[in-house]
Amino acid sequence: MKRRDVLKAGAAAAGLGFPAIIRAQQKEVVILGLWDQTGAFADVGPLNDRGMRMALEERKMQILGRPVRYITRDGATQAGTSTRRAEEAIDGEGARFMIGPWSSGVALAVSEVAKRKKVLHFFSGGTEDISGSRCHRYSFQWAASPYTAAKTVVDNFMKANPKARRWHLLVADYAFGWSVEKYIKEVGKGHGIEFVGADRHPLGEREFSNYVQKAAANRPDVVAMINFGGDAVAGAREIFNFGLTPKIPLIMVWSSGVEELIQLSPEIRDNLWVGTNFYYTADTPVAKEFVKNYRERFKTPPGYAPSAAYSMTRLMLAGFDRAKSVEVPDVIKALEGIEVNDLLGRMRVDPATHQTLRPYFFLRCKPKKAMKEELDFADVVATGDTPLPKEYATCKDIGAF
Amino acid sequence: MLYALMGLGLSLITGVLNIPNFAHGALFAVGAYFLVTAVNAVGNFWIGLLLAPLGVAVLGLVIEYAGVRRLYAAGHDYQLLFTFGLALILNELIIVIWGPVGISHLPPALLRGGVDLGFTFYPKYRLFVMVAAGLLVLATWLFLEKTRYGAIMRAGIENKEMVSLLGIDIHRLFTVAFAIGAFLAGIAGALTAPIRGLSPGMGVDMLGIAFVVVALGGLGNLLGAIAAGLLIGVAQAVVAAYWTEASTAVIFAVMALVLLIRPQGLFGIR
Repeated sequence: MKRRDVLKAGAAAAGLGFPAIIRAQQKEVVILGLWDQTGAFADVGPLNDRGMRMALEERKMQILGRPVRYITRDGATQAGTSTRRAEEAIDGEGARFMIGPWSSGVALAVSEVAKRKKVLHFFSGGTEDISGSRCHRYSFQWAASPYTAAKTVVDNFMKANPKARRWHLLVADYAFGWSVEKYIKEVGKGHGIEFVGADRHPLGEREFSNYVQKAAANRPDVVAMINFGGDAVAGAREIFNFGLTPKIPLIMVWSSGVEELIQLSPEIRDNLWVGTNFYYTADTPVAKEFVKNYRERFKTPPGYAPSAAYSMTRLMLAGFDRAKSVEVPDVIKALEGIEVNDLLGRMRVDPATHQTLRPYFFLRCKPKKAMKEELDFADVVATGDTPLPKEYATCKDIGAF
Repeated sequence: MLYALMGLGLSLITGVLNIPNFAHGALFAVGAYFLVTAVNAVGNFWIGLLLAPLGVAVLGLVIEYAGVRRLYAAGHDYQLLFTFGLALILNELIIVIWGPVGISHLPPALLRGGVDLGFTFYPKYRLFVMVAAGLLVLATWLFLEKTRYGAIMRAGIENKEMVSLLGIDIHRLFTVAFAIGAFLAGIAGALTAPIRGLSPGMGVDMLGIAFVVVALGGLGNLLGAIAAGLLIGVAQAVVAAYWTEASTAVIFAVMALVLLIRPQGLFGIR
């Protein structure tokens, strides 16, 4: 065989083979999980990944007969890195569906990428802007509206502690903190709450002594923290060290639940009240199955982070099923107004804002002696699902494709 | 005072061994984890507080004897890479042994809660840490100033060749200095555990501050490290009272300001 013949045979094989590869690539559905492995939420990203992977594995990594290729990127909890890596995954890997990241401030930047690149984007976090002033056709919000959260927390806390009217707030100084603070104050007016102080701290703060000193000086009836993850843990610890808790109650308004509570000893959790998007004792068939499988695999029960990723993925897959299509506009249309009985019970996506309407949990941590086991952190005091009233809504037009 | 403690340990190692110890933050974290392990094992905070830094000092001995000692002739690049790599290894070992999730550790029952000082409200444990760290700094300073071995150590910082020519085992001096530095990092970590809790990356922030203290005080200057640690602590507390958000930035602002005026640091001569 001459050299020229070998080259011809190679060219023919390539001509036959490449279209097959291209066809195979066209068939697969690429879904991106934008989960932080570094930066302020480095501890959360791996948990998000667990939940998303579990939801995809339940479907055997397939949707509508097509293989799902799940790819992840580390956004480093930074807007620049997250948008750059999301664009690279969209342009380079063909990702048309994206879930994440975890930080509200970063997600707002990623949402703009989704809009520009016409990619379906699911997100869960405390900013109201994704389904509010910066809403658009491609992004969806899974977490409860900050109003729903504030209403659930304030109403139920005041029901149990009607005399606790002097509140001091500690607020994470970014999109999430601002949104929740606004509604805590708004709902608080109806209960005659006096906000004796409201200090803002940067994301990633670990030294809370100065904030707590100021809080103690205000002699509040209750301290409410609107922060998350390591910030919330450090804050709760310092408030205990100063001797404020358990004498006065501490509220974590927007907590991950398990992931934060497990880092606090039972003494620190005494008189701690917690608002969260998910708690693992949620009484629904999907939650029970998910919690059971999660505990078998990872020993601890799931908190908000893996549960949100799990539920967002399931909701997105339900959109595929309803659309009977893997085209982005079809799946978006299918998700708009979709109603499912899923992880949190009845869940519905508001077609006008892309806000998921679902219950929010309010917990009270158990004293050490009442805990049945090491991970029996809290009782669910109440759930609430009051949607954002129309007068506060800032998503006037979700827009076109 | 904790900053002074960390800075003093790092300054001792930098001064005597002439190496930048990037593993100092990791030793701080190991001290905290040793405390929790020791307290869980013996059931007594005070015994744990004694055992934890001793454990870190032994670890320091091993690190110097098995690793750092072999790199004295190799130059700064290798020493820097070694201590940096060691920091990463120690960090990963913490995750392997104690897990990636943060841990809270309570102060002893005697020191829980706060006291009303009249002008402010302050946790008892923090007051204890302030006093304990102050006494440790004083004890270290007395050791270095008033004992024969302390004098040898200071002489080692000034002129290693001369100390060696006088018949003193310079390698043993290096090992002891590294172990004392590790002990100070370990006890700072152990004291911090009930305040800040424990997490694998807890040493990273402290390493940055320790280097600020060393640079601000003057490289290898022990008195400078104490003064710089106090200066930074006070500056941070004062700024935090009026502008809480800037309390971390002020550490680096003070360093930048001082180094602009005195590039050799407060007490440095080189």
